[in-house]
Amino acid sequence: MRWVKDDIQTYKKGKEYFDTVIVPVIPFHLSQDAELDKSTSLSEVMNILAHEIEKELSGRVLLIPGYHYIKQSDKEEEVKRINSWVEDIQKQPFNHIFFLTFDPSWKKYERELEGNLLWLPGIQSDNIHSDEMHSMIRNQVAQIGELIRSYW
Amino acid sequence: MSEEKQQVSRRQFLNYTLTGVGGFMAAGLLISPIRMAIDPVLKPSSVGDYANVGLAVEDITTEPTRVDWKIDQVDGWYESEVSKAAWVFKNEDDEIMALSPTCTHLGCVVSWEGSEKYPNEFFCPCHDGRYYKDGTNIEGTPPTRPLDRFEHKVENGMLYLGNAQERGGA
Ligand code: FES
Repeated sequence: MRWVKDDIQTYKKGKEYFDTVIVPVIPFHLSQDAELDKSTSLSEVMNILAHEIEKELSGRVLLIPGYHYIKQSDKEEEVKRINSWVEDIQKQPFNHIFFLTFDPSWKKYERELEGNLLWLPGIQSDNIHSDEMHSMIRNQVAQIGELIRSYW
Repeated sequence: MSEEKQQVSRRQFLNYTLTGVGGFMAAGLLISPIRMAIDPVLKPSSVGDYANVGLAVEDITTEPTRVDWKIDQVDGWYESEVSKAAWVFKNEDDEIMALSPTCTHLGCVVSWEGSEKYPNEFFCPCHDGRYYKDGTNIEGTPPTRPLDRFEHKVENGMLYLGNAQERGGA
């Protein structure tokens, strides 16, 4: 289910069926012109990926709004902030929390995160609407879905 | 003096216009649900349309195969490409069956023989929902009704799929 009213109403009616949360983790910046294209394209791909995964597993997974942070920010601080999200999420009985990101700098802090970090190598593309991109995303979705299911 | 007077009236003017805009927006919010219900322009453009799903009828076997296609959909605010999928096969009566992969429990995507434990069935990975090949839900698993079935037609040897129809519970 997604973070929209209709979906959340379904979630509330059947809470016992939902045990997994997905958090897209997406950097933001406007400061480095040279990086803007890459950053926005990765952010778009991440949103598509997250939505597609949610579609596959919507009856058990809650996709919450993305965790955004300034790209160059101090990761120690970000770890604290993201863990405070987890703290709130766990007011409900969720067993699995997955952070989905293209940013490798999280990898170093993986152990401090109160959830599973799924780091994916960034998918680069000039055109996210191309057929090539579609099949790449579909492929990724299938694999990530399988990985998530292996935790169930 | 006159300058101050002007400012006041300008502020008043802004206040009026802003209230005006706010009022207008509120009216829009109140009206919109009714408008969506009656205005044909706002209805999804693809209702009743059949889409060519890129599968030749002669290639359909008794083994369910997944087909994917896209349709344009207008959904209130967004106009977007929506991806659709179906499991297509021929049943014992040589009839074409195109079943929706959306689990009737809570909407996960089911697969044909998705679990090794349950051959010859559709399987939902979320809460082990199961369906017989004809889409009927298996009692004792979470789904309460069969998989929806797509309307279909054949043109020039190609399969076209329309809307998915709900079927009665088992
Ligand atoms: S969503 Fe398929 S069994 Fe629950």
